[in-house]
Amino acid sequence: MAAFTYAPAIVLLPFVSFLVALFAGDRMPKGGALAGITATGGSLLLSIWVALTVAGGSVHNEILYQWTTSVESLQLNFGLLLDPLSALMLLIVCLISFLVHIFSLGYMNDEGETGLPRYYAGLGLFTASMLGFVVANNLLMAFMFFELVGLCSYLLIGFWFREDGPPSAAKKAFLVTRFGDYFFLIGVVGIFATFGTGLFAPITEGGEVVAESFPMLAEHAIVDGEVEGIAMLETVGMGPQAWFTVLGLLVLGGVIGKSAQFPLHTWLPDAMEGPTPVSALIHAATMVAAGVYLVARMYGFYAISPTALAVIALVGGFTALFAATMGLVKQEIKQVLAYSTISQYGYMMLALGSGGYIAAVFHLTTHAVFKALLFLGAGSVIIAMHHNENMWDMGGLKDRMPVTYWTFLAGSLALAGIVPFAGFWSKDEVLYEALIHGFGTEGGLGTAYLAAYAMGLLAVFFTGFYTFRMVYLTFHGDARSDTARDPEPVHWNVKGPLTVLGILATTIGFINMAPVAKLTGAHIDFLHKWLTGPEEGGWPALLSTDLHHYEELLHEVPHVDPAYPLGGEIGTLLASAAVSLGLALAGVLVARSLYGGADPVEHTDKLGGLKTLLMHNYYQDEYQVWLATGVTHPLARAMDKFDQGVVDGVVNGVSSVSLFGGSRIRRIQSGVVSNYATLLTLGLVLLLAAFGIMGGWF
Amino acid sequence: MIPAETYLLLSAAIFCIGLFGILTRRNALIFLMSVELMLNAANINLVAFSLQHGNLTGQVFSLFTMALAAAEVAIGIGIILVLYRNFTDVDVTKATTMRW
Repeated sequence: MAAFTYAPAIVLLPFVSFLVALFAGDRMPKGGALAGITATGGSLLLSIWVALTVAGGSVHNEILYQWTTSVESLQLNFGLLLDPLSALMLLIVCLISFLVHIFSLGYMNDEGETGLPRYYAGLGLFTASMLGFVVANNLLMAFMFFELVGLCSYLLIGFWFREDGPPSAAKKAFLVTRFGDYFFLIGVVGIFATFGTGLFAPITEGGEVVAESFPMLAEHAIVDGEVEGIAMLETVGMGPQAWFTVLGLLVLGGVIGKSAQFPLHTWLPDAMEGPTPVSALIHAATMVAAGVYLVARMYGFYAISPTALAVIALVGGFTALFAATMGLVKQEIKQVLAYSTISQYGYMMLALGSGGYIAAVFHLTTHAVFKALLFLGAGSVIIAMHHNENMWDMGGLKDRMPVTYWTFLAGSLALAGIVPFAGFWSKDEVLYEALIHGFGTEGGLGTAYLAAYAMGLLAVFFTGFYTFRMVYLTFHGDARSDTARDPEPVHWNVKGPLTVLGILATTIGFINMAPVAKLTGAHIDFLHKWLTGPEEGGWPALLSTDLHHYEELLHEVPHVDPAYPLGGEIGTLLASAAVSLGLALAGVLVARSLYGGADPVEHTDKLGGLKTLLMHNYYQDEYQVWLATGVTHPLARAMDKFDQGVVDGVVNGVSSVSLFGGSRIRRIQSGVVSNYATLLTLGLVLLLAAFGIMGGWF
Repeated sequence: MIPAETYLLLSAAIFCIGLFGILTRRNALIFLMSVELMLNAANINLVAFSLQHGNLTGQVFSLFTMALAAAEVAIGIGIILVLYRNFTDVDVTKATTMRW
């Protein structure tokens, strides 16, 4: 397929733009922005071509470069895996990155920022790393690009490095995600040691499997009991189920760090210190999405482990609720959006954990669109407000910047989950999947699903509330400051991306209107079909990364099955949708009644101590700093003492004894030949005497 | 015929004289002479055993020892010359610079 031949260029184009912007950006117009726009635009076109090819039923899994040649048992490769999931993700990343580049013209160039080549180089590398991560066909390559993404986030969050906040936020983002990545790295090594391969999907030639993938090996081990060829099981002394769960949870450490799930979510709100387009890119398409995408990418591996699924679902559900409550009281527009991001990625994890693979990918898609829209809208507001982000200084911007208002409103309705905007369809499907699988799955896993569902459902109300609190404070009522009365106008390069994303946020939910499809019987659940693949294509049998395969696995191993407690499938569907929509609307209406007036007041003061708790993010930062300074540091000091005292002490003691002994014994080397002769003679006499006594001469 | 033990006693006596010379004297030339005495004690031993066993191996060996002793003296005298040049003396207890 011709599209697949050119697919590496999708990754290479932004990388070239990185080099161009870095080395020639200061001699180019717009500080290298044009290179980035061209590159991401080109990548977008290529991605569309790839997506069309994939839609035609062909997939691609190929090793491009192998950097170990002699070792038979362990192959380290760079490779390309293009299936419906990665093709969809390529589209999302390229589209968002393209729009963010254009938006940056308004946010960075028109605002007279310096250091633009560095900025556009960062954006280019960021996009290239994420695209490389998306097309990776093995775990090691994925890990390398995962780390590159983390590096780029560090560079971009700390873009304004002369101020105090950004460098510190950048360091925090780097360290916190790196903490998760340690576990990921151990997981990667463990998976390579166990299976001898990191391939996500088997490589086939003419229908014959030439290189097996690790999710398939794990599946054979558990479903068919074929544990031959799987090393490590005897070494660690566990059954395959338990050991694969450990490996899955280790990899999940990286996911939790990158996707900002509890307890490693603390870096994300601080990352708001970076330029707003970067925030849009991080939150919508690149860094944070990487974690969830990784779980979806190796879903076959997680689907065989009930414990890992329960952990994913519970972490997701809890994070969704936990982050939503913190978003209730924030005063900066970007902070509210930051916590909504954490919360929404919690939903995706909830969906993945509770067997809603399609719901997770759907929410990932819609969220990418509406969160990019909201961040770019917030960026537009921030330009207008001369970089004042406090919502209490805004108000009444509705009439002065209508394009921003209407698009932002579309994004907010999507985030809150109001029908028919994008977020409604995907969030509803997430909750619906959790509900039916919670009732249909027996034992602790089902209970975990129901608990996660309850937390996710409660978060819907909070989401509706904080979203519209933000909208009302920013755009409605009277202007509360001089800049809000006379905001700076924004140009086409801001309005253009907003309009595109606004239209998408309104309509992209239609790609998978599962409730409507079920009610009417019309086959309009396009994403479902997309992830299942065309029936005659035969690729699911080749790659086994299709939806059917995952559903069978979920049914066979952890026994995740749907059950419809309320009047059959249709009844449950409607009830679930009605409950989540009702809660979202309730949240919106409460926000309207509290903040919808001409001159709203801060009602959160009534929360009293709770407000302080929420404003301080449940003291998570303090708690983590305490963990570092109060626990880890003393522990490290104790270790250091042990190292310096005992380990080094033994070594130093041995050498001291030798030194001391040497300094005494060397005195017999006096330089006087007669002494030597005497010693020689004495030695000989002693030797003779000894031989004599031993040999019985006397 | 004189018994072999007599030769061995003579040899032991000469060896002890040589050893005594090395342990007590300081002059490098006397050292050399003492070493010669000890070598010759060994030669007497070899010849005595040769007589005892009735073959010529020991005598041949003592010839080799003499050649070796000659070479040793040549080198020894050379060393003593250098010693004298450096320390203006042939007292072996004075030359103590080669130590720790």
